Amino acid sequence: MQQTYIKENLVVKMQEDLKRALQKPMNKRSWIMVIDTDKCIGCNACVVSCIAENVSPPGVSYRVVNDIEDGEYPEVSRYFMPTNCQQCDNPPCIEGIPEDAYTKRADGILVFHYDKLKGKKLFQKVENQCPYTAVYYDEGTFYTANTPKLEPYETRPSYEYGEEWSRVGKGQSPINAVRKCHFCLHRLEASMLPACVTTCVGRAMYFGDKNDTDNVVNKLLKNRKWVLINESEGTKPRVFYLTGTILNKETCMTCHG
Amino acid sequence: MIKKITESEVYENTRKRISRRTFIRSGAFLGGSALLVSQLNWACNLLSKAEAGTLTPQEIYELSKAKNIIYSVCLQCHTDCPIKAKLLNGVLVKIDGPAYSSQSMLPHISYSTSPAKAATMEGKLCPKGQAGIQSLYDPYRIVKVLKRTGPRGSNQWETIPFDKAIDEIINGGLLFKNVKGEENRNVLGLKNLYSVRDPNVQKTLSIDAKRVAKKEMTIADFKTKHVDHINLLLDPRHPDLGPINNQFVIQAGRIEHGRKEFAKRWLNDAFGSVNFFEHTSICEQSHHIAYIMATNKYKNGKWFGGKEHMKPDTLNSEFIIYFGTGAFEANFGPPPMAEKVTDGIITGRLKIAVVDPRFSKTAAKAWMWVPLKPGMDGALALGMIRWIIENKRFDRTFLTNANLAAAKDSGEPSWSTAAWLVKIDKDGTPGKYVRASELKLGDENSFVVLKNGIPTAFNPYDTKTAVEGDLMVNTAVQGIQVKSAFQLLWESAASKTLDEWAELCGINSTTITALAQEFTSHGKKSVAEFYRGPVKHTNGYYNALALISLNLMVGNPDWVGGLSVGGGHWHEDGSKPGNPFNLKKMHPNKLGAFGLKISREKAFYEKTTLFNGYPAKRPFYPFTSNLYQEILPSVKADYPYSIKALFLHKGTPGFSVPGAQAQLDVLVNKEKLPLLFACDIVIGESSMFADYIFPDLSVWERWGMPHVTPDVQTKTSKVRQPIVAPLTETVKVFGEEMPICMETIMLAIAEKLNLPGYGGNGLGNGWDFKRPEDYYLKMVANIAIGDKEGETVPDADNPELELFLKSRSHLSKPIFDQQRWEKTVGSDKWKKVVYVLNRGGRYENFIKAYNGNYLGHKFNGLFSLYAEPVATTNHSMTGKPFFGMPVYEPIKDAAGEIVVQDGYDLSLITYKEILGGQSRTLPNDYWLSSILSENYILINSRDAELLGFSNGDKAKVVSTTNPEGVWNFNNGKKKPVVGKVKVIEGIRRGTVAVSWHFGHWAYGATDLKVDGKLIKGDERRTTGLCTNVVLLTDPYLKDVCMTDPIGGSSSFSDTKVKLIKV
Repeated sequence: MQQTYIKENLVVKMQEDLKRALQKPMNKRSWIMVIDTDKCIGCNACVVSCIAENVSPPGVSYRVVNDIEDGEYPEVSRYFMPTNCQQCDNPPCIEGIPEDAYTKRADGILVFHYDKLKGKKLFQKVENQCPYTAVYYDEGTFYTANTPKLEPYETRPSYEYGEEWSRVGKGQSPINAVRKCHFCLHRLEASMLPACVTTCVGRAMYFGDKNDTDNVVNKLLKNRKWVLINESEGTKPRVFYLTGTILNKETCMTCHG
Repeated sequence: MIKKITESEVYENTRKRISRRTFIRSGAFLGGSALLVSQLNWACNLLSKAEAGTLTPQEIYELSKAKNIIYSVCLQCHTDCPIKAKLLNGVLVKIDGPAYSSQSMLPHISYSTSPAKAATMEGKLCPKGQAGIQSLYDPYRIVKVLKRTGPRGSNQWETIPFDKAIDEIINGGLLFKNVKGEENRNVLGLKNLYSVRDPNVQKTLSIDAKRVAKKEMTIADFKTKHVDHINLLLDPRHPDLGPINNQFVIQAGRIEHGRKEFAKRWLNDAFGSVNFFEHTSICEQSHHIAYIMATNKYKNGKWFGGKEHMKPDTLNSEFIIYFGTGAFEANFGPPPMAEKVTDGIITGRLKIAVVDPRFSKTAAKAWMWVPLKPGMDGALALGMIRWIIENKRFDRTFLTNANLAAAKDSGEPSWSTAAWLVKIDKDGTPGKYVRASELKLGDENSFVVLKNGIPTAFNPYDTKTAVEGDLMVNTAVQGIQVKSAFQLLWESAASKTLDEWAELCGINSTTITALAQEFTSHGKKSVAEFYRGPVKHTNGYYNALALISLNLMVGNPDWVGGLSVGGGHWHEDGSKPGNPFNLKKMHPNKLGAFGLKISREKAFYEKTTLFNGYPAKRPFYPFTSNLYQEILPSVKADYPYSIKALFLHKGTPGFSVPGAQAQLDVLVNKEKLPLLFACDIVIGESSMFADYIFPDLSVWERWGMPHVTPDVQTKTSKVRQPIVAPLTETVKVFGEEMPICMETIMLAIAEKLNLPGYGGNGLGNGWDFKRPEDYYLKMVANIAIGDKEGETVPDADNPELELFLKSRSHLSKPIFDQQRWEKTVGSDKWKKVVYVLNRGGRYENFIKAYNGNYLGHKFNGLFSLYAEPVATTNHSMTGKPFFGMPVYEPIKDAAGEIVVQDGYDLSLITYKEILGGQSRTLPNDYWLSSILSENYILINSRDAELLGFSNGDKAKVVSTTNPEGVWNFNNGKKKPVVGKVKVIEGIRRGTVAVSWHFGHWAYGATDLKVDGKLIKGDERRTTGLCTNVVLLTDPYLKDVCMTDPIGGSSSFSDTKVKLIKV
């Protein structure tokens, strides 16, 4: 009998991958996220981590984990499907949106400029154009509004897009802005992996540079089957879903072909 | 057919929240806290620097900096995951899993990594743990002492000074003369209950009381000898009940290592009451008792020291059967366990089966889901054992080894009693193991096997002469009828055919065969894993023992991929030779306690002066402790005695105990419970009945030394320490400023009552005990120095010492003072203590997890396939002996009668979502309830069709115990047990499941009046349903839920219900 414990810490390895990628100029790196549907346990740790990291108010959750039941008793299956902004290379959401309201960065991340991409009208346009239901409107509400105390974790600044954002004061961005996942760009720039990746309890989330053939994400894409969601719409998403024995490609395609 | 369960609901919930404007803002709750100031001045300095364009991305991102990080330990559930707490201006804003921690990273980083480097590294943490911020900053936290101004449960309060509350509790009197109907109610204070105060008197009374119970002394002689002290006792006719001190009871909920020892030292050792309770019997107690019985050591006629918890080495197992539990929801717990399972599944190393009426998240990844009938886990295990023995698929080598020498010879770290001979009575009842002395083959501490048919004596721990025994023995030796333990197990397993077992379980016999076949196809890398599910039944102990026996069939203990005792911990209590502070012994003039506990636990009915034939007035529980559900009902019954004061700490019997109405009815009873004071962070469903509520510190503000799950294979000592400044009021005790919390209450009462072992030199010469950290930091020092010589951690270097202070710059004197902290451990140990605190504990490096084919930390001991102490004890109600081997038993009441629930057809089970525990978490942590805002009655689609229910219909849950399906709060208000039906495929037909988090009617869910001001409740906290009040009360006792007579578990999953459309 051979001892078979994992020798390599995947998070430490991915962080090393990340640091290596950051040495390169921005246009030489290409950020992608890889999500293993076989390993996702539907715990929602990523959802809470994302909300806390980005100080998202009620109604805003860049990450959602769908819990899907399939089959008939007793032949039952259950799939967990985390979704977020896919940082599309051909993003349909920004069609007809003023050009100064967003930036498609060279590393792939789609940046929304909170001070420009503002107001319900623009939000509805972006929302209607996104096939991934991945954008949210910040109504300026708080979880602890209308309780005995507005709690301080809700008014603290977030560091999205490398800036400080405090949701205090009426209309102060990102209040009334369109919000979505940005792969935790502010963390990447501080040499840290996205919050959903580090906290993932089933270790189903991976992150890295698509241009680095030797890193964790590319090895996974080489060795495993994967799908892109709604690929046929030509959006060119940057979130890859690994499939396997529990959730196979064909099942995925019944909803996301 | 694909059906989305929650996607639309998630959206519905989040959208709903946007427009929710249901509350009137009422200002800072109960006086607020100092936090408001920092809230308004967020990092102004940083902003100006950012505008000047002089900041790097790392500089802007404050949460990547070591100075803003303190490592501590979560307690949103009992997995107690280490946490990396990130602060901004003294406010806790983000919680992650530390890279240092063996529960958060696989493998965790080296312990020697500097905190500066670790600052940007982090690992896993479950959603509950991350939402801890919202339990800490719960708008309904109480921060001052409250005293009721109306009747119990009226939710009318006034804030009173801490000292006044302590004075009133100690001195008693007409404490509620302003409350209508209580004008003349004189309350006895704790000073009246602090009856025996002299340790010598306590000791002699205790010794002689035991002699009376053993009939070595007559009551008359006792009375004569102790004439001066007889009035200090509860009942001179029954001196073994103990002194009046026992009339003060602490009923604690989630109290853990660190706090537990602190509280027991105070109540047991200083106040002299035996009545300290944890909540374990409403959790997994029978699991613990069965493991203890299976792993007890034997010495000089006594069985003791068993391990209460073992787990698979999940990282290397090849097959795990999860019985009534899983790796992705509750259990112990998802962050350490889940990745080991998901890794195993995608690499093909691991196959899992889930035995559970509900298709859990773990079942989603399983090779096989077995939706068995609730409570039949033991039946299934016995069926599997039958097949395994019949097909000779058991590990013969492991099982034949009768002693340590034999185990050693075959490379086995552990061994078992499988071959040991048991005496059989004339009527066929198995009794004790045969002692060698009875056959004149050896002494009375040696046992006997048949070796190739020849009686052979051995000592279980003999390292020289290996003794193996025959497994199947049913014969007479020197006229004594004997069977081997293995034979007794076989007879139990063979008492039904496979088809009969399958029918009991509600599954096919082919499923039993397939499970048994797979289980015996992976050598020692198969494990039967369970926790709460199989044991929350009246037959819980036997179910657990059957599952443990299943593990022994494959001889998996101590092997890589097998059954593990876990990495263990360095001993914070100081009980090991290397530890500098033996806290148990650091107690000058310790009073100590004696007598029968109010719950009659850990006591044999026949060995008390109360014995008067069968049945006993109420059951005795000789094997279990912490019998939570039996405390209040015993108080009501005045059996074995009445009590005068109850300190309810961080627990809620009136909400969390099955058949909760019986508990609620006692809480409101002032005659039976004259003084009731509570200590908690929020006013809960039980503490709302208290006379006084003291605010407690939440886990993010205080100390604790929780132990590690055996799922972790490396040695781990976690240290919970203050992260943020306390939110509760600062008071003065022993001349020292400190925040109000459980410890402060105890110290204040110790000061006023002059309890031994507190104040100046309270921990012995030169060691004061005036503050919580006088105790807790010594525990940290014990961890830092280690259990044996040469085990100490390095000193913190200068950068680390600086960082230690910098990261605590937001903590002021009442909680943190470097000089004071250093003095309380001694300067020689200080830098080592800092090294541990800077990492939130002590973690052995991962390399120590395994040693070749063996686990790095092994049990190395004896397993009892037959539990002699159980087999030789009588049920206190029937007078009949229990069984030493696992047996199948139907659900029975306290009198031993089979429970009938005619007309109620649906079995009700409860479970936990990963988003919630039984407390804190859902629904009051709003991030969590934004994902799951209420719970449901889960029902199979066919059952729903038959009963005419559609998704979303509302139904009331009723049972024989609660045919109206209602909570009665005894304050004029009631709440029906009504919830929404969710029609699914993933649940056994005939079973309904309701998760256990929701249905609150206090804990911020209701309006309160404090100092005449209305505090509005939050309707988000009222959602869903809690079925505990529908769960059966015992048909014989009628005032408490059903209980496993051996393991002590309250019955959570034996109730049948009906769903009524509303």
